[in-house]
Order: sequence, then C-alpha cells, then structure tokens
Amino acid sequence: MPLHITDYSDEILHNISFELEAGSHLCILGANGAGKTTLAKVLCGLIDSDAVTIDGKSLRHLHGTARAKAVNYIPSKLEIFDAHMRVEELLALSHFDTALHIGDALERLQIAHLHDHPCQTLSSGESQLVLSASALLHGARYTLFDEPTANLDPMRMRTLFHLLADDAVLQSKIVITHNLELAYKLGFDILYLEEGRIRFHGSAERFFAQSQLDTLYHSSVKNLGDHVVVSL
Amino acid sequence: MKTLVLLASLSLLVAAPFFGQIDLPLDELLQPHSMAHQVFMQIRLPRVLLAFLVGGILSLGGLVFQVVFRNPMSTPYTLGVASGATLFTAIAIIAGLGAYSPLFAFVGAMMTVLILFAVASRFGGYDPTALLLVGIALGFFYAAALMVMYALSTLQESYEILRFTMGSLDIVGFGQIGILAAAAALLLLMMRYYKEAFKALLVSYEFAFLQGIHVKKLSYTLLFAVSVAVGAAVSLTGPIGFVGLIIPHMLATLYRQSAEKLLVPSFFYGGVFLVLCDLIARSLADATLPIGVVTSFVGAPFFIYLLLRKRK
Repeated sequence: MPLHITDYSDEILHNISFELEAGSHLCILGANGAGKTTLAKVLCGLIDSDAVTIDGKSLRHLHGTARAKAVNYIPSKLEIFDAHMRVEELLALSHFDTALHIGDALERLQIAHLHDHPCQTLSSGESQLVLSASALLHGARYTLFDEPTANLDPMRMRTLFHLLADDAVLQSKIVITHNLELAYKLGFDILYLEEGRIRFHGSAERFFAQSQLDTLYHSSVKNLGDHVVVSL
Repeated sequence: MKTLVLLASLSLLVAAPFFGQIDLPLDELLQPHSMAHQVFMQIRLPRVLLAFLVGGILSLGGLVFQVVFRNPMSTPYTLGVASGATLFTAIAIIAGLGAYSPLFAFVGAMMTVLILFAVASRFGGYDPTALLLVGIALGFFYAAALMVMYALSTLQESYEILRFTMGSLDIVGFGQIGILAAAAALLLLMMRYYKEAFKALLVSYEFAFLQGIHVKKLSYTLLFAVSVAVGAAVSLTGPIGFVGLIIPHMLATLYRQSAEKLLVPSFFYGGVFLVLCDLIARSLADATLPIGVVTSFVGAPFFIYLLLRKRK
C-alpha cells in the first residue's frame, strides 16, 4: 500500500503530488532551500496537513503507535534537550521493532562503543550514526532520512551507503541528500525539487542521463559512467 | 556521595521535629498528655510534614516545567503561577472572604496557567524564551495589581496579605496536610504513568511526536497536573520561591542521569530542602523568619550563578 501526497501547497511547496509504493525507495534531491526538509516534515506529519495518506488512511487520523509504525523521520542533526541521556536510553525510546536488538543496531553502524555515552557529548557524525541506528530500531514502514551522510567521514559514509542500499533494511526508505554520487549508487527513483515544485520524478537511470543532468545542474555535474562528479 | 546525601537527608527528616524554640525533653515527650507531646504532635510534626510535601511538590513541579518549557529557569514560581495565587489571596482578604483564601489562591494559580497555555498555543508551544518573558511580565502585572490591593486595604488586611506573600508554614492542621498529601501522591502517580512519554520529551518535541506521542496534549496534561498540585501548595503556604529551581539542578549535577530518573529524587530532596530551610528559619531568629525569605536568600544567588554558568 502506498504513501500518497495529493496536491500539497504551502509557502514553500507548490502542488506536490506523488506516491511511493510500499517496498520501493526514493531519493529527494534539490538545491538548498528547494523545500526538501519541508516536504519530509509534511510526509511524516510534523507539519500537519490532510494531503498525506498512508495505506489509504489520512496521516492526520493515525495516532499513537499506529502513526509511529507507519512513518518516521530522521533529522540531519540530533537535537537533545536532556544533558545526561545516554545513547542506549535514547535508542530504547524508539525501539518499536523488537525483533532487532539495540546492540545489533549499534553493531550494524559500527558504533557499539558509544552505547553508554551521553548523547550530548557525541560529535555530529557520531550522532548522525546514532540517529540511523534509531531508524533501524524504529522500523517504520516509511523512513525519511534527511541528509544522513552530511557529517560522515568517507569510511562511515560507506557504512551508511551499504545500510541504505540493503533491501532487507527497512521497508521503504526516502533519502534526502545533496550527495549525487550517493543517489546515483543507491539507484532509487529520484524526486527533484526546484523552488518548491517537483521538477523531475522518475528513475535514476533517466535522471542521471547526461542531457538531464545538464538541464538541471547547468552542466556542472558529469556522469562518468562509474561515478557522478561535480566539476568545480 | 549519593548515599551520603541520602543518609544525611533521612536523619534530618527524623531529627527536624525535635528542634525548635523550646526544647522537648524526651521523657516528657513520651507522655501522651504532656505539653511536649502536644507541641510535638500538633505543631512540630505537622509543620515538618507540610514543609516536606510543599517542598516536594515545588521541586518536582519545577523539574516538569523545565522540561516542558525547555528552559532551565522556568518553574511555576518564575512563570507567575505563585504570583497569581498571591494576588487572588489578596482579593479574597479584601473582599472579606479570607476564610476562602486557599480557594481563591488556587483559582489564581490556575488562571495564570491558562493564560500561559493560551500564549503558548500562539507560539505553537515551541518558544520557551518568549513564554518565560510572558511569565515575568505577568509577574510584574500581578505585582502592580497587588499594590492596588494594598492601597485598597485596611491596616489589618495589609498585614494579612503581607504575611501570605512572605510564605509561611505556620497555619496548618492535619486536614490541610491530607489535601497536600493527596495532591503530591496524584502528581507522583501521574508522572509515573507518563514516564515513557516524558522521557521522549527529554529528547525533543519532534522526536516525541515521531514516537507517536501527542505532544501538545502531553505537555498540557503535565503542566496542568503540576499546577493543580502547586496551586494547592501555594494556597496554603503562600509563595515559596526557588525550590523548584535549585533542587532539580543540584540533582542533575549529583546524579548525572537523564531527568526522568530524577522525578522521585526531586520530590524527596525538594521536601528535605524545605524542611532544612524551615529549620533554619525557626532557629536563626528569635521570631521565626518567613520560610519564603529563607529560600529566596539561598535561591536568588543560585539563580544568578545558573545564568552565569549558562553564559559559558
């Protein structure tokens, strides 16, 4: 059953409609300020609207655990008010997928050593990995990742890439990113936003065709076959 | 360290009723009809119990307010809840309804909370600094309105209002203690029930929402529960400041644990703190110092210290 957004508009976004089948994934691309995070917040309900339906039910009418299990949003930064909450305690709060152990999720992101660190002492990269671990434990049917690799070093970026690319991990992943190489290698369908409008929605193959890239990125992005690079 | 503090606190609680302006010899104390026994049972014991319950409610209330409002400075006291109670007590006294003043005080406290809620909903509940400022502004307004009440009152009424504003543990019977004990028990049970949701709130509003929590409803429920208990406390004792500010912060330093583990300790040590302050108030001067004065003497410098530390 699909995630559906129908003709959504606000100050930032205009006439947004698309659907995502359960089990398929999506990359959302677009320039800074194009409305990617806003769109993600609409899709997960943080911005209230009646435009979003999941499995035929309006997101607005989903409550409690039913909503939590339907959709989750992983922000690009971990904001935490409490000064002393430890990583394990944080993860326990979003532990809906009880088949997965907290230790295993940490292991999967290679941050097992952080389990009893206070969250506030983590570096931005570490906290991003903790957030990704929480996404696994949460196990929502649709999980939105907002720039999940923005603060990661190259090795960690690879770890996270393999996680996102693994079809067995999370039912449907929606990844917001500026990293075109990541989007290219993931091969998910692409939704490209420009000034709050959907400029492109289709397969990665079509999106990364050189002619398409030239139109959208004014010839500053090259598809070299194995890689997509930004020519500086 | 934690054990040491706990043991010291427990001994303080046990010892507290035995201290006061007159000595109570132990052998006399055990005689059911002696003066010492009467003083102990009807003055000392209720006073310590009252101090403990009020301190506990104010401290736990402070902790909850700080989490919900996202601000280490916010307590029911700094947000004007206590000032609302004071103003309405003054109104009751002047209207010749002094006997109902606890009821008026309670209404004043609740009204302030409703005003704060109304303002909070304008900000979507996400602007704690603005809310704190609104609370301070309300406090100024109440202070001005209180001056009007003073101007309208007779000398006798003025004195009664003044005594209330100083905060006092004087007038108390076991009936009032029963009410407070019920309020405290309700608040503690409530926090126990909402513990998991409260914990999610410790991360962020957005995080709590994504875990399926109705954040607004939760926040309002918690604030309302705290305000009912604080309203009940303040209506009996007058405003007693800074307990809700000092204790949660000291415990965070002592325990170094997330705030949901501090709920019961805040209540306990808030109670101990007020019993201690009351002991100081009763022992220092010939005439008993008002309790609110003692807590403010300790609390105001601590408040400034917090501000300075936050700046770093």
